[in-house]
Amino acid sequence: MVLGALGSRISDALRNMSNAMLVDDKVLNDMLKEIGNALIAADVSVPLVLNLRKAITQQVNMEEMAQGINKRKLIQTAVFQELINLVDPGHKPYVPVKGQTNVIMLVGLQGNGKTTTAGKLGYYYQRKGWKVGLVCADTFRAGAFDQLKQNATKARIPYYGSYTETSPVVVAADGVDKFREEGFEIIIVDTSGRHKQEEALFEEMAEVAEAVEPDTTIFVMDAAIGQAAQDQAEAFRERVDVGSVIITKMDGSAKGGGALSAVAATHSPIVFIGMGEHIDQLEPFDASSFVSRLLGRGDIMGLVSK
Amino acid sequence: LFSLFQTLTGNKTLAEEDLEPVMAALAQRLEERNVASEVAHALTESVASNLIGQTLPSMTSVKYAAKQALTEALTRILTPRRKIDVIREAHAAREAGKVYSIVMMGVNGVGKSTSLSKICYWLRQNGFSVLIAACDTFRSGAISQLQTHGKRLGVDVYEQGYGGDPAAVAKAAIGRAVREGIDVVLIDTAGRMVKNSPLMKALAKLVEVNLPDLILFVGEALVGNDGVDQLMGFRQALIDHGTTSRNIDGIVLSKFDSVDDKVGASVSMVHASGGIPIVLVGTGQNYTDIKGFSVKGVVKALMK
Ligand SMILES: Nc1nc2c(ncn2[C@@H]2O[C@H](COP(=O)(O)OP(=O)(O)OP(=O)(O)O)[C@@H](O)[C@H]2O)c(=O)[nH]1
Ligand SMILES: Nc1nc2c(ncn2[C@@H]2O[C@H](COP(=O)(O)OP(=O)(O)OP(=O)(O)O)[C@@H](O)[C@H]2O)c(=O)[nH]1
Ligand SMILES: [Mg+2]
Ligand SMILES: [Mg+2]
Repeated sequence: MVLGALGSRISDALRNMSNAMLVDDKVLNDMLKEIGNALIAADVSVPLVLNLRKAITQQVNMEEMAQGINKRKLIQTAVFQELINLVDPGHKPYVPVKGQTNVIMLVGLQGNGKTTTAGKLGYYYQRKGWKVGLVCADTFRAGAFDQLKQNATKARIPYYGSYTETSPVVVAADGVDKFREEGFEIIIVDTSGRHKQEEALFEEMAEVAEAVEPDTTIFVMDAAIGQAAQDQAEAFRERVDVGSVIITKMDGSAKGGGALSAVAATHSPIVFIGMGEHIDQLEPFDASSFVSRLLGRGDIMGLVSK
Repeated sequence: LFSLFQTLTGNKTLAEEDLEPVMAALAQRLEERNVASEVAHALTESVASNLIGQTLPSMTSVKYAAKQALTEALTRILTPRRKIDVIREAHAAREAGKVYSIVMMGVNGVGKSTSLSKICYWLRQNGFSVLIAACDTFRSGAISQLQTHGKRLGVDVYEQGYGGDPAAVAKAAIGRAVREGIDVVLIDTAGRMVKNSPLMKALAKLVEVNLPDLILFVGEALVGNDGVDQLMGFRQALIDHGTTSRNIDGIVLSKFDSVDDKVGASVSMVHASGGIPIVLVGTGQNYTDIKGFSVKGVVKALMK
């Protein structure tokens, strides 16, 4: 598991606290500092880590008033709860509806894996029996249409794109209209990579969204991103209605914490993780089992609900 | 009261406990600006250990002294010991009647092919003839991406389609450049993860078979703690799977335009690798968006 090192540092910090003779403020602070350092080393954004530390302290101090509570257990539970909050904002992702058209738009930073993920996602739904079409609304990147086309062809998924039309808004609208008329159930719109520093690119994204009226927009983010993740993700959320997140390249050595910060920034759950370059290397994501794997324990839900 | 007076007006000998809170705050600032944790802490610890026992001149605060020392340390680390001048090296090769070859490598999607096309544009501006070798024979659309750039830049792309051996494609491209008197061959490679050892072996083979003149590692300015693992992983793989001493010569820092003041990835990569220099910086998606690395600019962004 990619997050193994983070998990063992957090577990160690919890264990050290549990072994302390007396859990006073210093023991609690040392533990929180160590957990904070572990999260920052895994690329979770620094402001987010400071908030998390504050939230745990508050939770512990509030309940301290009550008599007869096991303090160690209380702290552990608070830590688990805050970690789960980090990957699970409580929102449910969009669930495609059978027998009707579901338009899914993919957005994200340059090179983060949108086009590859479009193919993987299409393949995932097609194998489950949905009628899927891919639309290439990236008219900027050299070779973008050929890339999508080759992936679609390998997976035998119908695709739409243009070598001559230069407006992504026009291609996106035409492609979605065509597939909609033909009764496709899942239409995946791949868009160009962009970043918040270039307003024209963000404006273009908003226009594509307006033209295709997606049922859901997925923010695709690379697991290796560092401290810029939160700012970028927030900027995307401000311009389009991000509903969920896919983290890519989880097969690499990255810890994925930057991408986790994107969850907090977009208030959107992770729905899939990318585990390789091949079309079948996409895994559904479940937040609580992720955290329990992270900390190497199976009984996490039981612990949280006490 | 007397000791308080001393800290404020100087003649104070710095002890570890004076520095601890100041250095912790500076380490956190470096982390916020995207310096890898390990590197941020190593840097502040080494700065602190140099300061312990020093006597501050009067009116100097501990904080100011620490910031000053860290600024100097960052500048020292980022300043390359050996400057790589691509244009001059390519000139020298041409004068010696040799083809100059550059290979781009790095993990998936960091900007290898785009940086290659920017370098191509830059070399063309400087009067060099260029051949692009399409040695990413794996990723969908990789070859047509380069062909599109080649067409725009007026440069041929040598390719053998998908699925072939990248080392052999590079060799054939260099062979063609020799025959046709082309000055520079730019070798594009597929993105790969360090953990994927068959792919890392194939890359080492490409280096071994072709002995490129310049090996550039492309790393994103956006990358977090993984930047260090990526760079060190590629370097180690070339050592483990190769028999030549050729290894990474320099870094291309891509997507510098998307990080604002979070410029720390540059520090992480240079520090952890013991000084592999940043040769070029990618600042956008157009051919002209490639610049030299400004040590001063980066240090300023980190310390302000
Ligand atoms: N190892 C690995 N590579 C991936 C994964 N997802 C995508 N990639 C690779 O990452 C690189 C970039 O992927 P793309 O799909 O082109 O990214 P993009 O977001 O469409 O890029 P732009 O359109 O330029 O913004 C390619 O080499 C992909 O093969 C993954 O889960 N694991
Ligand atoms: N903003 C910005 N985008 C960049 C920069 N360099 C590259 N990109 C974008 O990043 C995306 C990926 O670039 P590529 O050159 O295809 O990356 P690669 O490393 O060759 O990708 P693979 O071959 O799939 O591993 C493209 O959308 C580029 O336009 C840069 O300096 N700034
Ligand atoms: Mg794409
Ligand atoms: Mg490439």
